[in-house]
Amino acid sequence: MKPGALLKSLWTTDPQRVARQYLWGGFLFLLVGGLLAMLIRFQWAWPGQPVPGLAWALPESKGALTPPAYTAVFTMHGLLMIFFAVTPLLFGALGHFVLPLAIGSRQMAFPRLSAFGFWAYAVGGALMLASFGVRLGAASAGWTSYPPLSTPAFTPGLGQTLVTVAVLCVGVSAFLYGLNFVVTVVRCRAPGMTWGRLPLVVWGLFYGAVLNVLFVPVLAAATGLLLLDRVAGTQFFIAGAAAVGGGGDPVVYQHLFWLFGHPEVYILILPAWGMVGDFVAYFSRKPAHGYRLTAGAMGAVTALSGAVYAHHLFTSGMAPVLGRTFMVLTLLISLPAEVMFLNWLMTLWRGSVRLTSPMLAALATMVVFGLGGITGLALGAVATDVPLHGTLWVVGHFHLTMGAASFLAVFAGLYFWFPRMYGRSLHEGLAKAHVLSSAVLFIAVFGGQLAAGYAGQLRRLYDPYQYTFLAHLLTLNRWTTWAAFLLGTAQLLFVVNLVRTLGWGRAAEPNPWRVGTLEWTDAGPSPVVLRGPHELSQLEVQEQLGRDWIGQAEVLPVAVPVKGTTESEAAGVEGAG
Amino acid sequence: MKPVPGLPLPVLLASVSAPSVSAAPLGTSGPAQPGASTAPPDAQAPLAVAPVRGAWTLSLPENASAHGGRIDALLASSHRFELALAAVMFGWLLVAVVRFRNARRVSPDGGTRRSRAWVLGLALGVFGVVDGTLFLGSEGYLRDVLWNFRVPAEDPRTVRIQINAHQWSWEARYAGQDGAFGTKDDVVTWNDLRVPAGVPVWVQLVSTDVVHGFSLPAFRVKLDAIPGRVNQTWFQAAREGAWEAACYQHCGTSHYRMRGILTALSPEAYASWLHEAGRQAVQAYDPDDAAAHWGWVWRTP
Repeated sequence: MKPGALLKSLWTTDPQRVARQYLWGGFLFLLVGGLLAMLIRFQWAWPGQPVPGLAWALPESKGALTPPAYTAVFTMHGLLMIFFAVTPLLFGALGHFVLPLAIGSRQMAFPRLSAFGFWAYAVGGALMLASFGVRLGAASAGWTSYPPLSTPAFTPGLGQTLVTVAVLCVGVSAFLYGLNFVVTVVRCRAPGMTWGRLPLVVWGLFYGAVLNVLFVPVLAAATGLLLLDRVAGTQFFIAGAAAVGGGGDPVVYQHLFWLFGHPEVYILILPAWGMVGDFVAYFSRKPAHGYRLTAGAMGAVTALSGAVYAHHLFTSGMAPVLGRTFMVLTLLISLPAEVMFLNWLMTLWRGSVRLTSPMLAALATMVVFGLGGITGLALGAVATDVPLHGTLWVVGHFHLTMGAASFLAVFAGLYFWFPRMYGRSLHEGLAKAHVLSSAVLFIAVFGGQLAAGYAGQLRRLYDPYQYTFLAHLLTLNRWTTWAAFLLGTAQLLFVVNLVRTLGWGRAAEPNPWRVGTLEWTDAGPSPVVLRGPHELSQLEVQEQLGRDWIGQAEVLPVAVPVKGTTESEAAGVEGAG
Repeated sequence: MKPVPGLPLPVLLASVSAPSVSAAPLGTSGPAQPGASTAPPDAQAPLAVAPVRGAWTLSLPENASAHGGRIDALLASSHRFELALAAVMFGWLLVAVVRFRNARRVSPDGGTRRSRAWVLGLALGVFGVVDGTLFLGSEGYLRDVLWNFRVPAEDPRTVRIQINAHQWSWEARYAGQDGAFGTKDDVVTWNDLRVPAGVPVWVQLVSTDVVHGFSLPAFRVKLDAIPGRVNQTWFQAAREGAWEAACYQHCGTSHYRMRGILTALSPEAYASWLHEAGRQAVQAYDPDDAAAHWGWVWRTP
């Protein structure tokens, strides 16, 4: 291939191809981040023992993690998973793929921003990987990079600086696709694609994109100032007035970071919620229960998400008035989440449930998200947060929500849209085995972490058993580690499926799941949308077309007054039977 | 099970055999108490602290605080709700999937006005009960204990400690016999906190390098130590004994070794320890040792 042609194939403004670029990038970093997680788990089961097969990376310790190596491992695990794996997979890959198709637009509002965003992400990812190779190693100040620890006095070396720049790069990418998605949904919807007819996944991506636009700049500000502290000798976040004669304050960084950081966990889960909402409807063969309530609840969570962040700082010595305010706001956010969850459960009721691989993944997402949400309640109240703050309870809780739930949702989306993305069908059996084993093992791993955290195990300890009060947790941690190794191994089910399908898979049917959304029911270059996304099992459709689904832009042969919403009152009469 | 380097053998044995074989007393006071009244101020901190627990003891750390029981009770009540919620979630999913799998009849609507009202009502009810319980319980604890500094301020017996956290130890300063900080008889200890049982202990906390997290798991105490500001909290030991202090904020490579021991003594033993330690501090006082003269004026909020 000529250099020019290569460049052309790499610089693509086609959202479908950008989506594939993000997909492969996301998988690469998911693999790296996952392997780092295995190292953390190994360390907690066999502290300081040589890791089999790691001697090439750590020759001086014969493959054993040293304390500095361990701090780099957990720091890079968090950063890679959040910024370079899960968010890009949800927004970069699934978002770029489905968003324009589902709203009946062939293109994003700003195609070149899509391309530029991917390359900002790729540069950031390259810097992340490069940081492993520099002297003193990769970043090691935790994914939160709290100063003063993240300043050169306490974390010297190029690695921390490279990673700081990498976070800025991925911030550029996240801001750009956020902006692009918001404008695309607002401006590029097909005629008739009213807000009330958007698939819930579009709502999820839209809300997440809004949060990206609002809060990624806050992260960029904090990270940019931190970078200046590292390389330009400024003292924005270095100890207070007394120490340096300036006004620097490390707590300002913590507030900026979490003002971004808490919306970020909703950025990671909103598209997942959208997919769950859609998939339970599709595979119960009926309209989503309370579509407007669900979309509204997701909006309420989005609106509240920037106003709850300081529960991360309950133990920072915050003023009581702030502590009380953030406690109330944090507890409040569980209300819309409950509405949404109950709507999902109600959607299943009196449906015709089909346990396909995307449906299993969506149900698994529901379960792990539900468990994650439930275990977060105690963290939202100041008093009960105190014993659990900074323990593995917190780690288990947020891994269930933004780790396991987002991960399973990525696979729900991938199993659902893969036939449309690559034109081939994945093996259903392998996909189901992958989803079920992952879900069960996620619950085992993060359940084990919840238990260890409840018994007091603090996060980020190289050797927790230094503490007498934690010594008895070794056995539990070993079991949890075995579950984590199994979880890692179970991902081979997906790899085998992917390789097999891309190599020898049979061609996919045009609409294998028999749903009516625009990405499946190609309605020509300028579709006119006539109905909502979940108009399944409608009587007049079954009578006229002999099938239980109809395209969002498909015209019924005999005109029947279209109700326009999925919450059709007329259908309610029939449904009461 | 292979021995793990860095772990003392008794700990390993204890982790496979459930009953406690530790030398540490199970939260009872008595003459065998580690760090008892006769211990000189420079004595090694007691090695065995909190009782070693069985491998599957997955409850909260032992509670040795006079007020921590309220948090534990609140957590226990909230767990009952959480278990109920999880059971409803699993139950509903299971029943729905089993009963409606490939069902022939589908009710083809997005719910009725009534079913949507049920969703809203149910959500509001769950929110009111579960979150309401947490909020009220938490608020009570904050009002009476966590943010109520009138208790230590008004109790004449209150012990005040200034803690300077740094990579990687807890340096604690006691006012000594004269009750004033910044004088010759200030007692300074490293990773060795001593408090009288049954008396409010008021801690003010700073860091001189990075952000640390001061936690006393057995006392349900957690507070960040942040450069540039003085944070404060208070607690009260319910009984004599020795427990661990731990750093809960990642503070660098040796974060995991930032461990201290808190020993709760009888008020008499504490007084005699402070007296002896203060006497030695006066003898060892060096006006030129600038690094030893940290501290701040004790202000009440």
